[in-house]
Amino acid sequence: MQDKNFFKELLTKSAEDFKAGRMDRRDFLGLCAVAGVATYAVSIGDAQAAADEIVFWNWGGDAVKCHTDSFGSPFSTDSGLGFKVDTSGPLQGKVKEMVDSGNITADVADADAFDAIALGKSGHLEAIDYSVVDKKKVLEGFAWDHGFSAIFYGYGFMYDSEKFGDNPPSTWADFFDTNKFAGKRSLYKWANGAIEGALLADGVAKADLYPCDVDRAISKIQSIKDDSIYWGSGAEASQMIIDGEVTMGMVWINRAKAVEADTKGRFKLVMNEAIAMPGAYIVPKGNPAGRENVMKFLASCQTPERQINMLSCHGMTPANPEAFAMIPDDLKRFAVTSAENIDKVVFNDPAWWAENGGDTLNRYLDAIG
Amino acid sequence: MRLNNYWLLVAPLLLLVMALYAWPVINILWLSVTEPQAGLQNYEKLFASSSLARILWTTLRVCLLTTFGAVLAGYLVAYMMAHLASGERSWMLTFVLVSFWVSVLVRAFAWLTLLGRNGLLNGALISSGLTDEPITFVRNELGVLIGMIHYMIPYAVLPLLANMQGLDGRVMSASRSLGAGPLVTFRRIYLPLTMPGIFAASILVFVISLGFYVTPAILGGGRVLMAAEYISVQVLVTLQWGTASMLATLMLGGVLALMFTLSRFMKLSEVFGAKA
Amino acid sequence: MPDPASSDGLTLKGLSKRFGSFEAVTDVCLDVRRGEFLTLLGPSGSGKTSLLMMIAGFLDPSDGDIALDGQSIIRLPAEKRNFGMVFQGYALFPHMSVWQNIAYPLEVRKQPRAQIQSRVQEMLDLVQLTEFSDRLPRQLSGGQQQRVALARALSFNPQILLLDEPLGALDKKLRTDVQEQLKDLHRRVGATFIYVTHDQEEALSMSDRVVIMNHGKVVQVGAPNDLYERPETVFAANFLGKSNFLRGSVTAANGQTLSCVVAGADVHHRCNGAAPGVGELVTLALRPEKIDVAPLGDAPLSNGLQGTVSSLTYYGSNFTVTTEVAGFGSVTAEVGAWRNPHRFETGQTVDLSWQEDATVLVSEGTES
Repeated sequence: MQDKNFFKELLTKSAEDFKAGRMDRRDFLGLCAVAGVATYAVSIGDAQAAADEIVFWNWGGDAVKCHTDSFGSPFSTDSGLGFKVDTSGPLQGKVKEMVDSGNITADVADADAFDAIALGKSGHLEAIDYSVVDKKKVLEGFAWDHGFSAIFYGYGFMYDSEKFGDNPPSTWADFFDTNKFAGKRSLYKWANGAIEGALLADGVAKADLYPCDVDRAISKIQSIKDDSIYWGSGAEASQMIIDGEVTMGMVWINRAKAVEADTKGRFKLVMNEAIAMPGAYIVPKGNPAGRENVMKFLASCQTPERQINMLSCHGMTPANPEAFAMIPDDLKRFAVTSAENIDKVVFNDPAWWAENGGDTLNRYLDAIG
Repeated sequence: MRLNNYWLLVAPLLLLVMALYAWPVINILWLSVTEPQAGLQNYEKLFASSSLARILWTTLRVCLLTTFGAVLAGYLVAYMMAHLASGERSWMLTFVLVSFWVSVLVRAFAWLTLLGRNGLLNGALISSGLTDEPITFVRNELGVLIGMIHYMIPYAVLPLLANMQGLDGRVMSASRSLGAGPLVTFRRIYLPLTMPGIFAASILVFVISLGFYVTPAILGGGRVLMAAEYISVQVLVTLQWGTASMLATLMLGGVLALMFTLSRFMKLSEVFGAKA
Repeated sequence: MPDPASSDGLTLKGLSKRFGSFEAVTDVCLDVRRGEFLTLLGPSGSGKTSLLMMIAGFLDPSDGDIALDGQSIIRLPAEKRNFGMVFQGYALFPHMSVWQNIAYPLEVRKQPRAQIQSRVQEMLDLVQLTEFSDRLPRQLSGGQQQRVALARALSFNPQILLLDEPLGALDKKLRTDVQEQLKDLHRRVGATFIYVTHDQEEALSMSDRVVIMNHGKVVQVGAPNDLYERPETVFAANFLGKSNFLRGSVTAANGQTLSCVVAGADVHHRCNGAAPGVGELVTLALRPEKIDVAPLGDAPLSNGLQGTVSSLTYYGSNFTVTTEVAGFGSVTAEVGAWRNPHRFETGQTVDLSWQEDATVLVSEGTES
């Protein structure tokens, strides 16, 4: 996802230039067209957060529209507070830097559960007020002191049904078996999901996944290293599949529907043993809108209808059990928490990743390099 | 001795530079010996961790090859431009400059489209029967080199072109008239006279290459991890700011040492076009 | 002087050079004798440099041939022609010392080390630069650089040395010194010098022969005094020194002596060659220094005109008297300043007279 930031930063910079009169409108729009990004995706609201609005810090792209339509606009209507999106991507380091510098410009960040745990521990986050946010509206086990899941996403893999249509792969063991299923593989570059997938493939039972045996996972990953390429952004993952660079590719599940459509159904998603990732909405310590306002907003994100909207819009699966039954039929197949999938998937353990993520990532990067 | 008044004139600027540039740099140096605790343990990692050594070696190797490739290609382009009529030259210069506007991301994906497994080139090679299996041009170090060299050529062309345009063509004619053929003239006259341009281009390309991030990430298929990307991961993802600042310090130190070494062999002000 | 009967040397046959529709050099035929000092003289754009570059091998002729000792060299690249060349601005190798510059042509010819050593030393002695051998070109004065360029171009004993305005960058005083040195060098090395300049004084003082060029064509070739005394065209008479031109029609031809009417006066001219017939229009060139100026009626006017002094210009050794001749135009005379018996004033009417053999019959020339 970081790669995407380059475009965004270029455009944000240009947007500032445009605003300051250093660039005329035509140049700016032209640049946006070149970048293939609609102008609304570029927010220049950074550092202008105020008490009467919620600044939502996410990763840009479709999420801007989806977060605004599903969560932001309904909340604004209810509460009268404004809603803005900052698309610079709340990586742990950025949250840490923001809080440490004292120049806090975001109220909510769309982060991972392990971020919530790690940053909560290091004192960079506001605690969640569970008198406002309802713990019962979160799948059990996915509400922590400094964040909770409103949505799940996850890692599954897609395969080329023209190559493997007769005997399709259905497990990570199949994914890692390049003898039985010939061709290239693509894996996530930042280790998440790939470690779990490798362990499952190597015969570790779902229940024994954590704590992860990183050595074992890495040697499994290295066993197909010559046939693997690695992606850093969702766009890259899709592109590797659509361009036929791989016969099986790990993907973000929320993108699978679009990839199936783009390949006219040739590539199909395997949800069995998919790694479900709990997202976490976190609040940087000292957020500009104040704790009370942001908790109200977070509670509003638990509304089942709004979570379903988010699923329709962005493929992110609801985390509120009340919403599970409301998942539309055509999306059930792609939803981590739908009745047909919830028992097949493996839930990521954010506590383990919060503790071991950094070292694991460095070892993983070293191993694939 | 009286305080030179000119220093007072530049003092505000110096202070500004100190505040905006030197201070953050010093901060990074400081972090590298204080994160997570005071001491040199971050630097010890260099010797303890084979993975760090490998990343640095990859970075150095890729940057050196990029420098070689970009300066070689840039030399050819600049040579051609320097010997064109001025109208044609300004057209070519426009094209060279236009390429600066094309985002690094767009270029990386363009290379994928051209050189990927199902890309145009492989399509042509396979349909013409030259190969059966697609050739892996990208998603490996070769891909990174192609992308980086392509990106860096304009940076090599500009100093080389400035150098070549400053040469007196009669000197080359003189060499011919004295009995030296084209090759000898190139080797003994033209090449030595364009050495300042080659040095300037090499330094520029090498230093900029050190900071490359997007191109290796995309065209390397995640397998060519260079220092810049590793630093960014340590800052943004793993939060090992000590390691990150140690590597940043090392790279800064390396570049400064390079400049210092070169400055002992030639006047840097001349290399960068300011005639002494 | 070289033996004029010798047929060897450099021969240009019908040499032309076109750049698109522009004709820089047109049909030049020329024999350059071995050992002579030949100057190509012409205004800028006259084609003299293009001609030199074709001889050197840097320009391909569009037509014609260049032969050395009877052998065509037109296909030989510059480096195979073995001609030394001194460029405008000298074109020394800036990254090489004086010694290395001079040794370069010898090294390129793969001569033995010892031989190079002694030859470079010899050349340094010749141009008196021995103590500068380790200097870089930029550490030398203009005159010294010029000498290095000469030494370098001569070090490999070329049969022909080409010089492209080599004195252009020097100041006037230094130029005169270097002209002397060049002539001296020419005598000592015995090579053929082909020298390009636009400076007529340089051409006259240094050359064995001068080739006057204009608009890409050879106007006239000859020894300096031939050219000066017997220009064939108005252009040659005007470019090499100054001239008055008397235009009139022939009224009588008495043996070699013509009579023409110029501005109503009878002017006599003694022909050297074939005389034009009666009634023809002719142009007579008359050098200013060949005109005697005297107060009106001071002496019987056998051959001359009357004019009114319109201006006087003093040059130290002489001065020029510009007069207006009624019905003709201005005529300029040059008069010695030392012990001149007459004093002239503007507005004064004077007698202008000259000897019958002072005038030269010239053609108007289509190119003048």
